[in-house]
Amino acid sequence: MHDLLFYGLAGLLVCFSTLVVMAPNLVHAAIALVASFFMTAGLYLLFEMEFVAVAQIMVYVGGIVIFVIITILLTTRLGENHLLPPIRQRLWGIIIAATLLCMLLFGTLTSLLPIGLAERPLPADTGSLATVGSRLLQPTENGFIVPFEMISLLLLIALIGAVVLARKDSANRGEPS
Amino acid sequence: MNLTNCLILSFILLSIGILGVITRRNVIGILLSIEIMLNAANINFIAFARFSAHDSTAGAIFPVFVMAVSACEMAVALAIIIAMYRNKGHLDSRRLGELHG
Repeated sequence: MHDLLFYGLAGLLVCFSTLVVMAPNLVHAAIALVASFFMTAGLYLLFEMEFVAVAQIMVYVGGIVIFVIITILLTTRLGENHLLPPIRQRLWGIIIAATLLCMLLFGTLTSLLPIGLAERPLPADTGSLATVGSRLLQPTENGFIVPFEMISLLLLIALIGAVVLARKDSANRGEPS
Repeated sequence: MNLTNCLILSFILLSIGILGVITRRNVIGILLSIEIMLNAANINFIAFARFSAHDSTAGAIFPVFVMAVSACEMAVALAIIIAMYRNKGHLDSRRLGELHG
């Protein structure tokens, strides 16, 4: 049952991701990205990591993709894309991606890593909100309090930077004409 | 369902993302492809946390940081895109050279 669910979710994830890359209309690509993020959240739920699954949906689907769709609608007419790549560029992309995939698969399947590990029982609340939250804010050496605070600082900097970059130039607007 | 299957899934997603970065000409399309690659990395983290790590909770926390950093990256990148569209009127990655100076 778990295996079937995993293969189904993985297949849908690959299909939607291909659609994101190949769709000529950018709004369609963004909506396919939403679907692929939902599939990823389903995979995380299958792996019993509830907190990451919910964070995935809230941060990506609720935040980032909405932002991307608004930008697409601002800059193109309903996502119509007139910048189609030449056939040579597309061919080179397929060749490079396929070569990389073959190398990675070869390296993984012949390596000495302890891979191929089957499913094992996790402790009861490994990925639950309570465990992850208390671990995230632990000030001891096992905790993640310092990266957590650094991330908050980084988010603030990115917010200010985005506002400064995207606002209109006020130098020539403020002058009386 | 084992670790090898998850690694193969994540490699396929990484290749799809690289294909998108190479073939897209619109800058927003390139950003969407980068999101797919980050997603592949997150799946890798979760798979190792699920199947082989001693400390699985730490593996469940790390993707949260990846998400936060990717949110920052998207905010700044989309602000740059809006400024570029306002000043240049196009989003062609082949003409990104116009941005310097």
